[in-house]
Amino acid sequence: MNDLSVRKFYGWFTALGLLVGVLVVIGYYRDEYREWKNYQHKFIQEEIRRASTPQQRALAEQTPVQIRQILLPDLNRVDRCTTCHLAVEDPSYGGYPQPLAYHPLHEQHPFERFGCTICHRGQGRATTTTDAHGNVPHWDQPMLPLQYIQASCGQCHEAADNPAAPELARGQQVFEDSGCRGCHKLGGAGGVLGPELDRVGARRSPEWLKKHFLAPASVTPSSAMPPQKFSETNLESIILFMLSQTGESAPGYYASMRVIPSASEGQRMFQQKGCIGCHSIGDQGGKVGPALDDVGLRRPPEWMMQHFRDPQTVTPGTVMPRFGFTETEARALTDFLVHLRDQKVALSLPSLMSPVERGREIFRKYGCAGCHGADAKGGVPNPNAKTAEQVPGLIYVADGYTKDELKMRILKGQREIPALDAKRPPPPLFMAAWAGIIKDSELDDLVAYLFSLKPKEENPGF
Amino acid sequence: MNAPLPKRIWQWFTRTRVGRSIFRIGLPESNLERSQVMVSSFLLHVQPAKVNRHSLRASYSLGLGLISLYLFLILIVTGVLLMFYYVPSTEKAYDIMKDLQYVVSAGLVIRNMHRWAAHLMVLFVLLHMCRVFYTGAYKRPREFNWVLGVGLFLLTLGLSFTGYLLPWDQLAFWAITVGTNIAGYAPIIGPKLKYLLLGGNVVGQEALTRFYALHVIVLPAVAFFMVAIHLWRVRKDGGLSRPDEPGDIVQQVELKQLPTNKTYGLMELARGTTPQVGKNPEDEVFSWPHLVFRELLLFLLVTAVVLFLAIFWNAPLEELANPIHPPNPAKAPWYFLGLQELVSYSAFWGGVVVPGLLVAALMLLPYLDRQRQGVGRWFARERVVANTIFTVCLVTAIVLTIIGTSFRGPNWGWVVPWEQPPAITEGH
Repeated sequence: MNDLSVRKFYGWFTALGLLVGVLVVIGYYRDEYREWKNYQHKFIQEEIRRASTPQQRALAEQTPVQIRQILLPDLNRVDRCTTCHLAVEDPSYGGYPQPLAYHPLHEQHPFERFGCTICHRGQGRATTTTDAHGNVPHWDQPMLPLQYIQASCGQCHEAADNPAAPELARGQQVFEDSGCRGCHKLGGAGGVLGPELDRVGARRSPEWLKKHFLAPASVTPSSAMPPQKFSETNLESIILFMLSQTGESAPGYYASMRVIPSASEGQRMFQQKGCIGCHSIGDQGGKVGPALDDVGLRRPPEWMMQHFRDPQTVTPGTVMPRFGFTETEARALTDFLVHLRDQKVALSLPSLMSPVERGREIFRKYGCAGCHGADAKGGVPNPNAKTAEQVPGLIYVADGYTKDELKMRILKGQREIPALDAKRPPPPLFMAAWAGIIKDSELDDLVAYLFSLKPKEENPGF
Repeated sequence: MNAPLPKRIWQWFTRTRVGRSIFRIGLPESNLERSQVMVSSFLLHVQPAKVNRHSLRASYSLGLGLISLYLFLILIVTGVLLMFYYVPSTEKAYDIMKDLQYVVSAGLVIRNMHRWAAHLMVLFVLLHMCRVFYTGAYKRPREFNWVLGVGLFLLTLGLSFTGYLLPWDQLAFWAITVGTNIAGYAPIIGPKLKYLLLGGNVVGQEALTRFYALHVIVLPAVAFFMVAIHLWRVRKDGGLSRPDEPGDIVQQVELKQLPTNKTYGLMELARGTTPQVGKNPEDEVFSWPHLVFRELLLFLLVTAVVLFLAIFWNAPLEELANPIHPPNPAKAPWYFLGLQELVSYSAFWGGVVVPGLLVAALMLLPYLDRQRQGVGRWFARERVVANTIFTVCLVTAIVLTIIGTSFRGPNWGWVVPWEQPPAITEGH
């Protein structure tokens, strides 16, 4: 180890120094070359090609290549989709291939307020195609396939009165008609046999839901849920409706925009706010204020709007109080009253219905049909149940029970269902206890309905 | 003169007025300057001017301690860069990880470097400890430096563990939940310790704040000073351990009863083993360049390896932490999986007694094993009993860790990694 041996270090220093240098260059290149820059260059070239004046050309050439993002603090999102999808707001890019295509119909939901992922899902912060579109490990919100996009409307808006989302309304219809609530809670109403569905749309993919409906045991081996026989369209509709249940609660500005003014929304408000206490429609309601059947003929919509804002400004001295309706609420009520002008509307107020009618609604509301069949006629399979391996129909309950016995039966439920064959697995479906879920008045009506089901023309000898 | 260009530039610079003011000795040209450069530079003076040839043998030390030190330095630099972006908030931390990946220049590669260097540091500190054991290097007079080393190993685990939580993803959340639960199994103090660590009973914002403070200031500062003392003791205890050689001047200066009414020069106060030990001129070479250049080369190599890993493999990042959806199984960081495996048999024995005894045994080792033979050689025959015991413990720990890492599936059940895992049934 004399001094000459130092020379051998030079080679090592050169080699390792070069290695580190090369790695730094590779690292820099990979960091600097990013997919989105490609798309931005393409966009700028297209803008330059389109420029017809030197000024436009200069402007296009000066377009900076940079990350573009929409900051949505209230929604807790940062959407960088527009880094690649640069022309979403420019109608002249209609029909262009992605990522440069124009996004039609965004006037109701301006991008700077809503961003992209609140409807389309995906990973807003990501800036590569695969990661942003979200079909990657450890990201549970992949982009929603376009065929289900109306599900996103249902995150904020009521399904029933959204004219832009007919598929969603259909889905809700299928959900309520199929008696899903018999086992599943949604929005606080429903049974306890299956899991709650309030966030199911954020947790499950369309593929999972499809498998689940057709053969529940294939995705959840322990599931007691019977396979569902939906038609192709109904299946797609209910998948869409399930996907809309994300539990997303948008605050502030977004909450104030939830109500879509429409005649049906107006009708619901009319019933909820108790207008019927003073006003009448179709001879139903109070006599303190004027009947409203033909108010649409007497007053222009602007008058009604002003009336809802502050009754005194249009009818000085009126006893009608100022309710403090929001603009959308006033708009919905106005639409309803205008609608009355052209069409007779029967209010479906529970207080105006007979107990049996109300009971039918409750039977529907709690999804009893999910197990006991449409109109309580039975027929839903429950393998190994003594009752012909089916959930029993309820049309003859009036023969077997007193009203009080039937109420207790509903409140307490029946956990153990007698089995046909003790060696086989016990029947998966059982009667849940509805105590604490169903209200007393609802129970009265439900029992009245069930007693009314007994067929009228009965063979006396039966 | 036929020196390479960088050297000539350096020579020119150190001769300029500015260069001379910064570097008190330029590039050394004579043996005198080679000594001077070592003692006159702040960064170099912790090392001796001359060093034993034996200490330079890569086959002896394997450079493991230096590699650990370099990884620590890389972690400090990349860690500070990450701190420019990171916010220890459960609301923001995860989003910042995503931003580092997608929009921050070099953000991903720096996070990757930090992550891989952290894993490597745990590994290399452990390997360093094994080297010191198998060469018997913890024996007198290096007993206390071994104890410091065990402390540094625990600190390394603590640093890695506290950093593990910061990305606030599922991996982080559940690994820390499992890890702190293990701490909670200790009798009497366990639950208190867990509460103290987490600032509550579950992992949440308070835990993140505490882990962050521990990770970026408390533990690094302690580790930094302990590393300094560790290195200082290497020098003071006579450099790297080596076998006794004929011709060594063993100089054990005992502290004399000195009159206290007089002042002394430093040389009069020195006692114990000093760098003078083993001062056989033929065994010694100048630290510059023989030691310093090797150290620099090793630094380049470590940097290259970490960069390579960081460029081609991304640090893991799972879904946002979700306290109501535990993965099955939830696993601690890999270096605690042996412990978790033990805990799966018995929380008390596996989580408290065994690791407690292990740490105590490691700390006390140099005071228990007082045999003087077999220092400075790998697997010395005289140390066969000690080496066997250590190897058995080490292999057991490795096997348990491998089982915990690869052979444990849902509900901590046995799985074989090369077979398809059974479908996880989801609760309905």
